[in-house]
Amino acid sequence: MSQLNQVLFHENSRVGADLAAWQATIGGQGLTRALQEPEAIIPLIEAAGLRGLGGSGFPTYKKWQYVAAQPNDQDKYLICNGNEDEPGTFKDRILLQEAPHQVIEGACITALACGINRIVFYINPEQTESLAAMQTAVAQWCDSDWFDKLEQALGKPLEIRVMPSSGHYIGGEETAAIESVEGHFPFPRGKPPFPAVSGVYGKPTLINNMETLSNVSHIVRNGAEWFRALGLGEATGTKIYCLSGDVLYPGAYELPMGTPLSTLIYNYGGGMLLEKELKAVFTGGPSNTILTPKDLDVPLDYENVAARDSSLGTGAMIVISEGTGIVKRVAEYVNFFAHSSCGQCPSCKNGTFYAAQLLTRIDTGKGSRADLHALMNLCNMLPGSGRCHMLDGAMKVLQSSMHHFMDEYEQAVNR
Amino acid sequence: MSNSPVSYEAAMAAYRLEAERPLTEQHDDKEALLRAYHPDYRADTMTALKVGPNSGEQCHRQLADVLQADARIDEADLAGASVVETDVLVIGGGGAGCAAALVAAVKGAKVLLATKLRLGDSNTVMAEGGIQASIDKEDTPQMHYDDTLKAGHQSADKKLVSQMVMDGPDVIRWMIQQGMQFDTDEFGDLLTRRAGGTSANRVCYYRDYTGLEMMRVLREAVQNSDAEVWEYSPVVELMINESGHCAGAVISNLKDCSYVQIIAKSVIIATGGIGRMHLNGFPTSNHFGATGDGLVLAYRLGAKLRDLDSFQYHPTGLAHPHHLAGTLITEGVRSAGTYLLNGKGERFVDELKPRDVVAAAILKECAEGRGIQTSDGSQGVWLDTPGLELRNPGILQQRFPKLLHLGHKAGIDPHTSPLLIYPTLHYQNGGVVIDEHGETTVPGLYCVGEASGGIHGKNRIMGNALLEIISFGRRAGRHAAERRHSKGHKRVSIDHLSRLRRELTISDMPMEQKSPMLFPDCAKFDTDVDYEGLRRNQDK
Repeated sequence: MSQLNQVLFHENSRVGADLAAWQATIGGQGLTRALQEPEAIIPLIEAAGLRGLGGSGFPTYKKWQYVAAQPNDQDKYLICNGNEDEPGTFKDRILLQEAPHQVIEGACITALACGINRIVFYINPEQTESLAAMQTAVAQWCDSDWFDKLEQALGKPLEIRVMPSSGHYIGGEETAAIESVEGHFPFPRGKPPFPAVSGVYGKPTLINNMETLSNVSHIVRNGAEWFRALGLGEATGTKIYCLSGDVLYPGAYELPMGTPLSTLIYNYGGGMLLEKELKAVFTGGPSNTILTPKDLDVPLDYENVAARDSSLGTGAMIVISEGTGIVKRVAEYVNFFAHSSCGQCPSCKNGTFYAAQLLTRIDTGKGSRADLHALMNLCNMLPGSGRCHMLDGAMKVLQSSMHHFMDEYEQAVNR
Repeated sequence: MSNSPVSYEAAMAAYRLEAERPLTEQHDDKEALLRAYHPDYRADTMTALKVGPNSGEQCHRQLADVLQADARIDEADLAGASVVETDVLVIGGGGAGCAAALVAAVKGAKVLLATKLRLGDSNTVMAEGGIQASIDKEDTPQMHYDDTLKAGHQSADKKLVSQMVMDGPDVIRWMIQQGMQFDTDEFGDLLTRRAGGTSANRVCYYRDYTGLEMMRVLREAVQNSDAEVWEYSPVVELMINESGHCAGAVISNLKDCSYVQIIAKSVIIATGGIGRMHLNGFPTSNHFGATGDGLVLAYRLGAKLRDLDSFQYHPTGLAHPHHLAGTLITEGVRSAGTYLLNGKGERFVDELKPRDVVAAAILKECAEGRGIQTSDGSQGVWLDTPGLELRNPGILQQRFPKLLHLGHKAGIDPHTSPLLIYPTLHYQNGGVVIDEHGETTVPGLYCVGEASGGIHGKNRIMGNALLEIISFGRRAGRHAAERRHSKGHKRVSIDHLSRLRRELTISDMPMEQKSPMLFPDCAKFDTDVDYEGLRRNQDK
């Protein structure tokens, strides 16, 4: 059986915003089972080993337990995070456009498990087609019997809505998303209190990525064992890898979690463009440590990538071949972070801006050795000084590029 | 009837000066003549494009080769390349580019004009016949419109044509304001003459170097404007932003062999035609720099092209002596009443028919053995200038000084000897698809002049090229300048090259050839090699 597109991207799932078509195959089975036995859902998710697929890799059941443990006599919120704005990531928009019912059913089961009665689909406004598909699909759910059944099971008035996010990259950060849902600018909040205790309007709030939620109905329908068996090695389930950059066939590939990087690039991506040598891979956000050719064998799951001092992130793999300037790429990414900084923390606002300026100067042949030293100092000073993790991410990619490709920086300032 | 061409010497000896030569009855069907003899109709030179926005459409094979070639640069070439920012980048220093740059600068935009050679090195200066504008009292823009569509075989973009003909009179006024001279009568009114394939006297002209006069004025105006001019700076690639808009260009600085990235809110391509590709091995009247760069640049960025199988072969290119082969003799000579004669001294076509018909008729005469052959093997027919002089004494001296100059260079006196002519690759009828502002299908990318398509359909009439470059040059300059208020680009890159290389690999195309060509095959110097001439200039 082909390992490609087994679950989330399976043709049974990608039926578009058509509830009848979704129910004609697998749709509704998970939710029916969940309604019969709501208290069994969280243990099932724990047994399946589902993790946060938006980048954290945090065990999903733990988050759910915290929210479920909060008193049930109040409103609880679920924010389905589809803010997706990172360079190289384009999986959520496919899920939302082509399989909106998969994620909605997953969100409904999640709500049932945690006693949540307010579901918000929080979607990047630039993805107009995702928004349109979700609006149609949510309207279909609200008009169906499922809505009443769910409301009855919850014992609280249920609300499902689609909301465009502010479009800022930082709006994808958990606490920033909460601010956004409350109608404010997405400034990240300090933690604690954690959202599970005090999120939207001080109510318990659960935030999950669209891909995570999309898996839920399948797990409830097919069981934990099935899900665990999907993964390779210790890993569980599947992962949507967003392959881009200098490969022949870029695209989003749903593959078993733990598929080696080389398999992704050479078997599915068609190999390197023009058969050039692989130089580096920027993973995830791209706020992670860079992978290099020696990491080609790494199984792409959370533990194994972390063992190489990097992180799987959103599953984005931006592949760079020989003949590409690293400084230019890093300058672009740091510039992206500089533009995305919300400006709350001076270290982040000024630090990313300054780093981007230095990088651009070095990349355009105007940099000096002093600029390079200044960059190194920034890498030492800045991490950990921001309220959220954005600054750390920006510095991580910078630091790791200097670690692996210092010669290119040297060359640029010696010119 | 003899089936072998008569030799140049024998034909010259047999030539007799006659004032009137009646045209023998012509029975040729125009379409049949074109199909049989016009080079555009040669099926073996056409191929279907395999990659890019025009995939599946017919295109001349030589042009397809450069449209589907690999890029000259890689991302690594941009490491350390300096960055310059501007509002409007104009690529090309001919008439269209200068007009666009001038108008954009007057509108308040920061303008940078980059040209492959020097400002004014262009085909504009080669335009001899004149510029069409319906200013005669017997004429209307409607007639101009009808003539343009008819000559273009009804395939031109009607909206573009209607705008151009309506712009006509104002274009003449604007050029006069810039300082351009035209030939006038004793009252100072503009003289007009009739072009081949048209129904009224509509061509305004200045001697037989109208384009040169136009370029003189435009060049001075640009030099006196706020627009910055970079010479010896061919564009090797365009750049794209995060949402697929054109975001600037990479320039290869020929003087110090370095790349410069120019980030611009809008880019205007005004790079001219493709004559120096010598399609079908034809000689060309075109300037050294006419290598079709703009088509390649725009196509890679995703702009749609049109009429890639349609080119204009000007009927009267000089065929003898060999070293001047291809040099243009203005259509003005024919519109003044000069006859074309075959090897037997007979007229064979109405000389004022559209260019494609006259060119096909000449090719037919040569193919059927009624041509005149020179010692180097090339063929041609007579352009009977002595007959014209006989009917209108003094006309050559007064109206065609450039022709006499050409005669002087060739060692032939047009007053007494006819000139041997043969069709020459003259103009690219098609090009980049544009809208009424000169904007292509890629936002932020404009295209004007010969590089653009749609205005002439499948054949151009004399004088519409000079009108087009000013009319649409000004339109594009005006519209592009408005974009200076837009938000800057988030991310500027040459990512579209990855898309190109993917498509080329998947379609199994060869990747050895690089484009744009930049320079003709006869002068293969470019940014990568030490070109002797450039170094010599630098040392000075």
